[in-house]
Amino acid sequence: MMRVETRDRECWHCSRRTGLELVCLHCEAPQPLPAATDFFTVLGLPRRLGVDRQDLDDRYHSASRAIHPDRHQTAGERDRALSLAASAAVNRAYRTLRDPVARGRYWLELHGSPLGDRNNQVPAALAALVFETQEQLEALRSSGRAAAERQQVEGVRGELDERVRALTADLDARYAAWDAGDPRAPEVLAELKRRLSEIAYLTTLLDDVEETLAGREHT
Amino acid sequence: MERVVGIDLGTTNSLVAVLDGAAPRVLPDPDTGARLLPSAVAFLPGDEVRVGAAARALAFERPFDTILSVKRFMGLGLEHVSEEDRRRYRFVEGSEGVVRFLVAGRQVTAPEVSAYVLRELKRWAEAALGEPVAKAVITVPAYFNDSQRQATKDAGRLAGLQVLRLVNEPTAASLAYGLNERPEGTIAVYDLGGGTFDVSILKLRGGVFEVLATNGDTRLGGDDLDARLADLLLAELPETLRSHPQIHAQVLALAERAKRALSEAARTQVELATPDGRRISRAITREEFETLVRDLVERTGHPCRQALKDAGLEPSDVDEVVAVGGSTRVPLVRRYMHELFGRPALAGVDPDEVVALGAGIQAGILTGGRRDMLLLDVIPLSLGIETMGGVFTRIIDRNVTIPVSHTEHFTTAVDNQTSVDVHVLQGERELAADNRSLARFSIPIEPLPAGVPRLECTFLIDANGILCVTASDLRSGRERTVEVKPSYGLTDEEIERMLEESFDHAEDDVQRRQLLEARVDANTILHATGTSLARHADRLDPGEGDRIRAAMDALAEARDGNDHIRIRELYDALSTVTEPFAQRIMDSALHDAMVDRSLEEL
Repeated sequence: MMRVETRDRECWHCSRRTGLELVCLHCEAPQPLPAATDFFTVLGLPRRLGVDRQDLDDRYHSASRAIHPDRHQTAGERDRALSLAASAAVNRAYRTLRDPVARGRYWLELHGSPLGDRNNQVPAALAALVFETQEQLEALRSSGRAAAERQQVEGVRGELDERVRALTADLDARYAAWDAGDPRAPEVLAELKRRLSEIAYLTTLLDDVEETLAGREHT
Repeated sequence: MERVVGIDLGTTNSLVAVLDGAAPRVLPDPDTGARLLPSAVAFLPGDEVRVGAAARALAFERPFDTILSVKRFMGLGLEHVSEEDRRRYRFVEGSEGVVRFLVAGRQVTAPEVSAYVLRELKRWAEAALGEPVAKAVITVPAYFNDSQRQATKDAGRLAGLQVLRLVNEPTAASLAYGLNERPEGTIAVYDLGGGTFDVSILKLRGGVFEVLATNGDTRLGGDDLDARLADLLLAELPETLRSHPQIHAQVLALAERAKRALSEAARTQVELATPDGRRISRAITREEFETLVRDLVERTGHPCRQALKDAGLEPSDVDEVVAVGGSTRVPLVRRYMHELFGRPALAGVDPDEVVALGAGIQAGILTGGRRDMLLLDVIPLSLGIETMGGVFTRIIDRNVTIPVSHTEHFTTAVDNQTSVDVHVLQGERELAADNRSLARFSIPIEPLPAGVPRLECTFLIDANGILCVTASDLRSGRERTVEVKPSYGLTDEEIERMLEESFDHAEDDVQRRQLLEARVDANTILHATGTSLARHADRLDPGEGDRIRAAMDALAEARDGNDHIRIRELYDALSTVTEPFAQRIMDSALHDAMVDRSLEEL
């Protein structure tokens, strides 16, 4: 079920030949994850940008049933340690792959073009919106949180929210289109990076707006 | 296979259950048949300890030595203890780290007190099953942090139980609700226990119980409702009686009974029998009670809304609401739950037993008895480290499915540094100082120029929600031992020592302990008598003050010596000499109470 490659290996526990599954086909002992196993491989998925959510959920559940520490609690110490490590890897893989934005960022990392933690440069497409938002936040602060200014900022929040949602929703369609060609192509990675930067920038801006509205901003 | 029991270690009551075939059942007290063990532990002079109902009965007589809600103190330091609790119990002042109670002349930590409760449940289980029990699943509030979880695990170890898993109470409850028969759906579990509040949002599919988000308040529970009602009753009494610890304990018990009565009836009558045989009577209506506690009940609203938000859901997405904990019997709580989630809560399983039954099922899951079910739980609070300038840098977000791990790389800032110190905290605030400190980890390294060492540190949260840190030196590829200093917990050495102490009572150990206990008791009575003399000098008979002071001097002198028997004799002598005086203080306080009362009635 979890097999993605046909290469066999030997189970550390029963010494029989087993595949690349998380647990041995014969004795169910957890197997060590090979170094540098990517998230797609952990869940037995092909390396593609597009992911079918139902299929992902099913794989996550069956992987959890096989590897979760609850299943290996009465086994030996090595079994328990391996199950813990593999279970953490399965959880992390699922968390990353189920979210199109996190998955896209991971794809960039995997292909040597990470987005980086901080995007200080305003993406060109957003310049006008960002400028307007900053102005209104400033107005809200200097007005001593007057109701009219507050309403303005709430309006901007709605606009930003909508923009992030639209950009994120669009990712799925993009992923399908890119997967049909070569999702590793440099121009695809560049375009993906551009879109993800916009989302990241807007998300940070939205956080600022929320903080200001809640009166929690730190100057 | 060896049986594994499931234990609900509650604030007010504790229970033990086991999986029989496919269904769990609660194991009762072999002597009385009781299913709930009051989580009360009373310490008596001479190393005698009572647990459960017998301990709770001593709460009036020995309020300081009877710990009633030890769970509130698990994994805390003295600085986290409320003013109210500081009036109620005595603590060892000035000690760092874990909070220590002073009871009957000895010092005990919260895990040690909890261990007495666990040992009693172990005894119940062994009697019911007819075999030794050495392994358990223990439940904890979902919102417990790492220190509180570790303290619970330590309590199990001290009680001679291997804790196979800590399972979150709301999650355990959902297992017991037979919700697995429902093929798919979203459930909200609202758990208002004696001392803690939890809410968990779960997604169910094909026997997998996946927690999407959890939230709560570890300082909010049924006890707080009782306290409000008790304050109302205490206000009827004069100051002198109000501050009296025995009366206080008695009024608290009455308040708890009145709360229960008001869940069934619209009105109840509270009768307070004072020590001199007189009675004070007061009527309380449900409406009055609801006005008193409404703000407390509404404090559960924010955690519920936050949990829904973190799960990315609206109240209308919730298919079922499950009520857990005795306090959900309060009609106001039921109505508020309905309001929050837009639907009435499921009824059916006893809210007092549902968590223990779920723990029994989880014990079965771990031993292969229920392979159809699987729990996927989350970490309730974000975990991070302190970085430059006291900033809290989050490394694992709250509501992430556990087990989970995160890797960080560290190097040194100065030449020839011999260790890297990491301060780990838990919470949601921006500054390290505003979050709860969990532990400081010290990782030794070879002395090298600054920036050269390469240390890889892995933070792993296991399925219990407990953190484990490992480190390796990337230059040598060698594993590094991590020295852990818990901020509010016991070290391994302390636990070992406590275990050893409970095994062998060497003769001189006993002697030394008896001396220490006698000294502490002497200090207590000296202090109390001194205070009464100063406050009620007007009630002394001629010559009585001198006799009391002479007895005090004699006891103080003996206390500074090494003869515990002599201290005990003089302690008794002082109690005898002060008895008439104490009786007069008590009588006049009661008299005042009656005068106030009759004036009010006019």
